Amino acid sequence: MITVRGLTRRFGAVTAVEALDFQLEKGEVVGFLGPNGAGKTTTMRILAGYLPATEGVAVVAGFDVLRQSMEVRKRIGYLPESVPLYAELRVEEMLEFQGRLHGLSRAERRQRIPRVLERAGIADRSRSIIGQLSRGQRQRVGIAVALLPDPQVLILDEPTSGLDPLQRLEIRKLLTELAREHTVLLSSHILPEIEAVCPRVIILSHGRIAADGSKDALLHKLGGGSYVRVEAVVGPDAAGAARLLGAIKGAGAVRDRGRLGIHHVFEVPCVEDLREDVGALAASKKWALRELSWRKPTLEQLFARIALDLPLETPEDGASAPAAASAAPSGAVTLQVDAQLRAAPASAPAAAPSSFRPLNPFEAAAPSAPAPGEKSAEKPAAPRVVYNLNPFDQGASRDLSRPKAIDDAPRAE
Amino acid sequence: MQGLWTIYRRELAGLFLSPLAWILLTIALFAHGYIFIFYLVSVTGRDLRAAMQLALAGDVFWWFMLLLPPLLTMRMISEEARSGVLEFLLTAPATDVAVVLGKLAAATTFMGLLWSSVLLYGGAAHLLGVRPDWIPAISGVFGATLVSCLFSSIGLVASALSSTPILAAFAAVVMNFLVIVLPSLDALLKLPAGHWAKVALGHASVVSQYQSSFGIGVLDTKHLVFFAAWIAFFVFVATRLLEKRRWS
Repeated sequence: MITVRGLTRRFGAVTAVEALDFQLEKGEVVGFLGPNGAGKTTTMRILAGYLPATEGVAVVAGFDVLRQSMEVRKRIGYLPESVPLYAELRVEEMLEFQGRLHGLSRAERRQRIPRVLERAGIADRSRSIIGQLSRGQRQRVGIAVALLPDPQVLILDEPTSGLDPLQRLEIRKLLTELAREHTVLLSSHILPEIEAVCPRVIILSHGRIAADGSKDALLHKLGGGSYVRVEAVVGPDAAGAARLLGAIKGAGAVRDRGRLGIHHVFEVPCVEDLREDVGALAASKKWALRELSWRKPTLEQLFARIALDLPLETPEDGASAPAAASAAPSGAVTLQVDAQLRAAPASAPAAAPSSFRPLNPFEAAAPSAPAPGEKSAEKPAAPRVVYNLNPFDQGASRDLSRPKAIDDAPRAE
Repeated sequence: MQGLWTIYRRELAGLFLSPLAWILLTIALFAHGYIFIFYLVSVTGRDLRAAMQLALAGDVFWWFMLLLPPLLTMRMISEEARSGVLEFLLTAPATDVAVVLGKLAAATTFMGLLWSSVLLYGGAAHLLGVRPDWIPAISGVFGATLVSCLFSSIGLVASALSSTPILAAFAAVVMNFLVIVLPSLDALLKLPAGHWAKVALGHASVVSQYQSSFGIGVLDTKHLVFFAAWIAFFVFVATRLLEKRRWS
């Protein structure tokens, strides 16, 4: 339904997207994921026929986007990020306008307009003036407008931005419904949404496709590194216990994470859940278990790594010294600051060792991100701080050694 | 033309849903009516025919032409570009030319409505027992609408250039002014009689083209082609400017 080959778009010296290649089959629902400035909107605009591509070919519903623009435009429903609607019109007038633009007859309009309003959940506001609607309601009107011509392909740019969680849930439900009849390409930087709605995800980073595939396949291919974490009292012979654990069928090279009190921590890399086997082994050896958990990298962590340009296939970077791990909330990816600076030198060009660069994944995409305040450099001997690498945990650059929870940038004082 | 009629209707509705159109209409009608009475009573010595002609060709008429179309068209493209509606229009199944022409037609209709008020003055006089000269009045209204169409197309070019409505209006007024005073280049350059540039400038005068035809009730294809060519040129420029937004 959508075929993109070698798609490149440059704005002067800036390359917004470069050599994109992907294909959407009929009825497929694909989520575009990427930090701001990764090229999601540009790609969607090219597909909708708003921007021409500098190089490459895009074919939508069997028509070339550039050469047969009108044919493509008749067959797509495009909802730009800004939700463009005439503020002075009433909801139904806007839909009338869209229907006429698409050449629907009066009978078709009369039949379809109430239906799409119903589907978008805005039927009760059909007589309202658009300018007086709330952001969420406008979003719904935008979706209704995109749906009206019953397009084969729906291109929705951030359809849930600016909505409250409840509205988001409803839109998500609507999207899942739409997925049954339409080919849908939607973008978002909200991961749970993409995970919930789209079986297939395309991750963009710096205008290139960083990953493309189903969520599980992506995790398997790129993330790797799922493991069973064992915390148990194994006696003095830790190496022997590690050998035993490694002998379990399906287990990789066991990592010994040292002692935590009387307990010993092991990580058993595995593709499938080995908790039962490990549990059985522990029972037979009479190890007292304190923790037995299966850790999988989430799409979030994968996304964060891509956005931060971190190497993808290093299972180790999810873990750190036990002392540091105990300071961070469990399950979060934690890294020590200097380790982080080593791992991603490009993202911290001028940072002095003592001044912190926020580990904001979205900042890696912006080449000219402002340097952290100079004052922090004067402060001598800053403590070794553990950062939470989960970018979706409100303050991505949160200093966990301080009680303050929400903070966008390192404070200068 | 795909979508032209739909966009024309939307634009016209948009004009009359905004207070600006009503304010302009009120002020213009009031001023124009006052001027007409002034012409009728003080200037022409109660000559209805001459007063109606002046109302559609005098100094004040050109001032209206200079100011009104830019105010009407200033928001048409610039505001939509800013609010993002342009992205909707340019991805809808309507060609860029249809978008420009639809907007131009809406502005022209509005101006035509304004100029047809002169017919009301004639009608009122008719009721009072004075027979106006209808032919030059009707051709005058038609011509005035055509001239408004030209200035509106210039306004659309300005609106496509700028994303600030007020700036677009200002640019349009300046451009309209330049178009009106273009023939004065002749006097400025002191060209010898018969020089090709002098002849060309003489033909390029919007004011004299209008006043020697529609203003006095003469319909000639020569003048129609003159205005159609200018309008086509500015519509072309506006369309290209709209297209340019896709590339930058």
